[in-house]
Amino acid sequence: MSSVIPLTEDQRDALQELLNISMGQAANSLAHLIETQIGISIPKIASVTPNELFGLIQQNDQAFYTRQSFLGDVHGEVMSVLSRKGLKEVAKLLEYEEPLSKEDVQETILELSNILAGACLAGLSEQLELNTNLNMPTLFAPHKATFSDLQWENSLVMEVQFDIEFSSFSMRVVFCLDHDSFNRLTQTLDELLG
Amino acid sequence: MAISLLVADDSKLSRRSVIKSLPPEIEFDITEAANGKEAIAHIQDSRYQLLLLDLTMPEVDGVGVLEHLRNQGDGPDVVVISADFQPEKQRTVMALGAKKFLRKPLDSEELAMTLFELGYL
Repeated sequence: MSSVIPLTEDQRDALQELLNISMGQAANSLAHLIETQIGISIPKIASVTPNELFGLIQQNDQAFYTRQSFLGDVHGEVMSVLSRKGLKEVAKLLEYEEPLSKEDVQETILELSNILAGACLAGLSEQLELNTNLNMPTLFAPHKATFSDLQWENSLVMEVQFDIEFSSFSMRVVFCLDHDSFNRLTQTLDELLG
Repeated sequence: MAISLLVADDSKLSRRSVIKSLPPEIEFDITEAANGKEAIAHIQDSRYQLLLLDLTMPEVDGVGVLEHLRNQGDGPDVVVISADFQPEKQRTVMALGAKKFLRKPLDSEELAMTLFELGYL
């Protein structure tokens, strides 16, 4: 990720901590559902251009990708990268029966995106007292998608990773905010930091 | 006499929040650690009565600190304050000797109750 982070050290620290709390809530929601422990990473925060974002998202072909937009006081996109490895085991934990159909796999991917990315965004919004509405996730293929239509010079990227114990499954969630939303976010963080 | 307290959390905001949540009727002598490695170094250098410990930290995480304390023997009372409150994680830290598990965002009344239960209040 780019090293240019348009945040003060205190703002970055606060945002990282709020994300950490949101991730904990998200992981707990899923852990409760599948009765398995979820590992959570220390959130990473950076600023990237749309091209850098493309590189960040498209890491290999051994993954499924979803994106979902959110609107409200701040708006942007949430992109989730889910490993193909271990996904079947997670689907079984979500009580899908074998053999899994293509639809079962798609539902699992969308469900995981909704639970983890949705709970993360909801937790962050709640703590910052911001209103956000997350749209339904859709599957996408990064090599066919273009991020050049995103009218962002720089976007704030917040990246978190979840790992599901007893399976090789992992999932990265990347939140992207546009410039105006970034300004709103920093303003809110400054109010919080008092 | 002031209670010697070590607050270990990688977030400055979180350390500030923990310190602000301490009951004002108790006097504390507070040291801060920004990760588990720093926390272990402080524990090796000085004797603390109480450790308020985050789990998700760089270098050495909270579980690593608890493992170090278990191997070392006589250590501070540990209260874990973490956003990762999954049941399995709570069982792990309690098995490693933590006295209590508190969720983030920290509730000051819950912290006061915990300190009361541990005999500090």
